[in-house]
Amino acid sequence: MRHAQRTNWRGYVFAAPATVYLALFAFFPMLFALWMAFHRWHLLKPEHPFVGLANFGAMFADPFFRGAIWNTLIYVACSVPLGVITSLAVAVLVAQPVRGVGVFRTLYYIPAVSSQVAMSMVWIWILLPEVGLINYLFGCLNDWLHTNIPTGTNFLARPGWAMAALVAMSLWIGLGPRMIIFLAGIQSIPERLYEAAALDGCTGWGRFRHITLPLLAPTMLFVVVTTTIAAFQLFTPVYIMTRGGPRRTTDVVLYHIYKEAWQKFDVGMASAMSYVLFAMILIVAVFQFRLMRRGLELEATT
Amino acid sequence: MGCASPDDSGIGGSRPPATRTATLSLLWAGLALLAGACGSESEPGEVVLRVANWGSPAVETSFMALERQIREQFEALHPGVRVQVEQIPGAGQYAPKLLMMHVAGSMPDVIHLDASSAAAFIDNGVLRDLMPYIERDPEFNLEDFFENVVAIARRGERLYAIPLDFTPMVMYYNKRLFDEAGVPYPRPGWSWDEFLDAARRLTVFPPDGGPPLQYGFNFENHMPFWVLWLWTNGGDVLDPSGRQASGNFDSPRSIEAVRFLVDLMTTWHVAPHPKEVLTAGADLFLAQRAAMDLKGHWMIINYRASGIDFGAVGLPTNGVEPVTVIYEAGLAITTKARHPDLAWEYIKFMTQPEIQIRRVASGLAISANRHAAAHFAGNPIEDVFIQEVQHARPPWGATVERYPFVEELGREMLEDILYSEGELPVEQAMRQTARLIDAALGKR
Repeated sequence: MRHAQRTNWRGYVFAAPATVYLALFAFFPMLFALWMAFHRWHLLKPEHPFVGLANFGAMFADPFFRGAIWNTLIYVACSVPLGVITSLAVAVLVAQPVRGVGVFRTLYYIPAVSSQVAMSMVWIWILLPEVGLINYLFGCLNDWLHTNIPTGTNFLARPGWAMAALVAMSLWIGLGPRMIIFLAGIQSIPERLYEAAALDGCTGWGRFRHITLPLLAPTMLFVVVTTTIAAFQLFTPVYIMTRGGPRRTTDVVLYHIYKEAWQKFDVGMASAMSYVLFAMILIVAVFQFRLMRRGLELEATT
Repeated sequence: MGCASPDDSGIGGSRPPATRTATLSLLWAGLALLAGACGSESEPGEVVLRVANWGSPAVETSFMALERQIREQFEALHPGVRVQVEQIPGAGQYAPKLLMMHVAGSMPDVIHLDASSAAAFIDNGVLRDLMPYIERDPEFNLEDFFENVVAIARRGERLYAIPLDFTPMVMYYNKRLFDEAGVPYPRPGWSWDEFLDAARRLTVFPPDGGPPLQYGFNFENHMPFWVLWLWTNGGDVLDPSGRQASGNFDSPRSIEAVRFLVDLMTTWHVAPHPKEVLTAGADLFLAQRAAMDLKGHWMIINYRASGIDFGAVGLPTNGVEPVTVIYEAGLAITTKARHPDLAWEYIKFMTQPEIQIRRVASGLAISANRHAAAHFAGNPIEDVFIQEVQHARPPWGATVERYPFVEELGREMLEDILYSEGELPVEQAMRQTARLIDAALGKR
């Protein structure tokens, strides 16, 4: 008994720095933001009257905030499934025992260690009409195959295309980290299962469908949830590349919050919106957990 | 030069910072510690005067080299003092970052104050009233400065910044392109009709259709530039009190102005539609592919560097008196300044004619000090700018705190109209936006 207590005491000491850090820089600001959300809170003015739910009422009455929620959901619905599928596919490829596979793994991971601002600038150039890489390649295709693909598309200035461009960029940025996690999951699958499957005449797609995919379920859950959270928090590329445009088609919730806090100095409203974003993420994450845990249990029983 | 006594005591005119909840101060104190830890290190006995300015420190220009020389001159006059310039990059980031530094208690002593975002600083107790400094100081004469430029940072009896330099917006024209098209150069007092006529004659279409090879006018959807079309048509964004957009932004005069702008792009094709701008960031006037451009003095640096043969003229108007805007930079002392008296010496030093003449010789702007500005009289381009000062008004951002947000709403509105291909009538869009502006301004 006494021994157990001493162990606990040591544990608390070791946990203390992280706990204090989190309390000071995460939990306290979060609770403080909750407090601010119920007040009329100007960044610089001394008086902060309590306004109850007025901030929440005003934001849902604002068609542009509702638009921002819609845009965010579209982005999440497109970028998460595509992001997970592409990174899983790449992970399967780089899990192969091929010469020079380390080079590929490194290359795919590079975007993850680059600054998002720098990558956004690069993507602006990739997406430019005529001289941008994509339009330039369309031009080359036109020359070789005598096709007639337009090369003057200003992707970031066209409603629809701009969101597609952000999704495409997210696949590229998020590829590395997701791939690494999938790769770890794949490599932890015992080789004997594949051998057994081979004896049963299972090859290629069958091996992937019946061994890799089911055994990756816990990894999949982690990747899907973290990718979803990151997608809800899209900000930097929007801020650098589109500023919410064209025609507000890329005005996502976090960018909207930024404008509320830094152009209108209404940090009370911005805090309230942050809590709405938090609630959206929480609901979707819990839903994903429930759904996929059932999947895990089903796999376990079959 | 007066002797600087770099003591830390504030003076009578300063206001105490707003009281805040203790918990919040605690958090900010923690952040300030972090900020301080990665800030600069000062030698023992050395006084560091922190000066905030906008612009990227990464790009070393000849102008920055000049500014450093000027700084060193100030340091030579004040032994034991080091001027530390803190460059804050990113358009739109300057004001938010400084306001955050104010809240966090890590505010520099002196800040460059942009007229376009001055209200947020002046009206929230971030800056000191400079009148007590001016009254105490026999060496400083406020009469040396252009009065309507000084007025930007005035609130009743108080004055929150000394103007450094400024620019009215003018119409630049490319003389070579005008000569080639046989179009006479625009003259002061010209009208919108004359402008449109010139723009149409200067636009060159390719023989096989498609967007023009050369435009009459270089349009950019940037509201600080296009708001001038409202003004030169007798319209405006807000009422004189700066509180209401309805009845102003959606007045017949304002609507007519935006319709004229939209027609430039959609009916006459004399200005680039945003979707026709092929390489974002490329300036068509600078590339000599647009014959006219509405910009400020700072562009002269680029035009000279590119060897463009250009002229400048006041803005065309539509049945109203000539008008333009003053975009200005001033120097202000913050309420949280550690060395306010030294800060005042710095401001006095920077705004004196000898230093001003050296600063603006680059083509950056016009000195707000009349004596320095007079030094450049006789240069035909400079004379156009000096001429325009008399019709120049301060931007709304000098008095309306959320005006940068209003400008964002304006940009989005024009984008909506242009991309709707005629489906969204100008009038409807402007009524809608006027209501949005009122909601943004009136709420709190």
